[in-house]
Amino acid sequence: MALTSQRVDVPVIVDESKCLEKCVACIEVCPLDVLVKNPETGKAYMKYDECWFCLPCEQECPTGAITVQIPFLLR
Amino acid sequence: MHNTDMDPEVAQWVEMLRSPQLDDRLVAVKTLQHLGDEDAIEPLIGVLYNEENPTVQEIAVTTLWEFANPVAIPPLIECLSSPHANVRDEALSALKELVSTNDLMKLLDVLQVGNTYAQLNVLVLLRKIHDAQALPFVLPFFESENPTLREAAVITLRYLNQVVRCEPALALAQDANASVRRATALTLGHLSDAEVVPLLCELLTSDADWQVRRNAAQSLDLLANPAAIAALIAAMGDPEWQVRKFTARALQKTADERALPVLIKALADEYSDVRRDAATALGKLAQAEALPALQQTLNDPDMDVRIFSQRAIDAIQKSLPETSNV
Repeated sequence: MALTSQRVDVPVIVDESKCLEKCVACIEVCPLDVLVKNPETGKAYMKYDECWFCLPCEQECPTGAITVQIPFLLR
Repeated sequence: MHNTDMDPEVAQWVEMLRSPQLDDRLVAVKTLQHLGDEDAIEPLIGVLYNEENPTVQEIAVTTLWEFANPVAIPPLIECLSSPHANVRDEALSALKELVSTNDLMKLLDVLQVGNTYAQLNVLVLLRKIHDAQALPFVLPFFESENPTLREAAVITLRYLNQVVRCEPALALAQDANASVRRATALTLGHLSDAEVVPLLCELLTSDADWQVRRNAAQSLDLLANPAAIAALIAAMGDPEWQVRKFTARALQKTADERALPVLIKALADEYSDVRRDAATALGKLAQAEALPALQQTLNDPDMDVRIFSQRAIDAIQKSLPETSNV
């Protein structure tokens, strides 16, 4: 899997102002294990640019910090 | 307070539920949801009573829903009156799966003393229990000043088993609110009071709201009462195609020769659903006069119409005497 270089380009966008440092809900539900915590900030981000667009991360986030950008052709 | 046998990991998150920091409480309730340990049920019920934040409350409701433990039902019923829409809606969704006949009395208590939100939600839940004992508690809502409550009550009425007569519901057919009349028109189809058919005929032919007229046609279809034939014939000229469609369906059950001209005319309706249902109704009438018009619809642009017209023709030809040449 390709490591993401530009975090704004990935489909799972995390609003860091809303992401809770102790929370790992999105990381636990991701079936591809592509979400991780940034050890410096404690915020979640998409480490690998692989996504099934299955959406549990968005639904499980208790603060609504995650937005999954679904490609036009999959909508 | 949690018991001493609690898993230390669960205990740590239960403790965090009491944190003054909202972020901590959010993380704790979410983690307890993921851990799925039943020892957390009691602390989560505590969240429903003591927590101020609606998001934490909502996650606690979801978690208790996932545990599906009957002990959570009374606190969840109390959540139906929450001032927060997300908490109420989540509790309602949970209770739709969790409530059973055993909870009827608790629900009826809330119906009498709860706020409007709770009453509305309980009226919805009573539809799942289907118990006619609820009828005396539902009836007062027919006269509520709140149209949403009147509508919910009249919808609930149609889900109560063994209720076949309910005179107080008939008055709602003349309600000022169109949503209430729509719901009433559908409920009347499940009742057998003597006034039901004349009332539905009046709604079908005279109501200003087309959805009320359509629902009246659907109810007359259920009742299949020959007394409605004049109203059904008149309704085949309704300006709305949905009304004509369901009227044609009702005419399939109340087969009456007087409907022949309007049904033949409906074979040329602008909407193919109406043409299809009129063709089926003509098949049920089994009159040879309908055959030429039906044969013309065998070229209809809609395949459904062609199929149902052919079936109607077959049905009519089968019913004719052997000697007929038609």
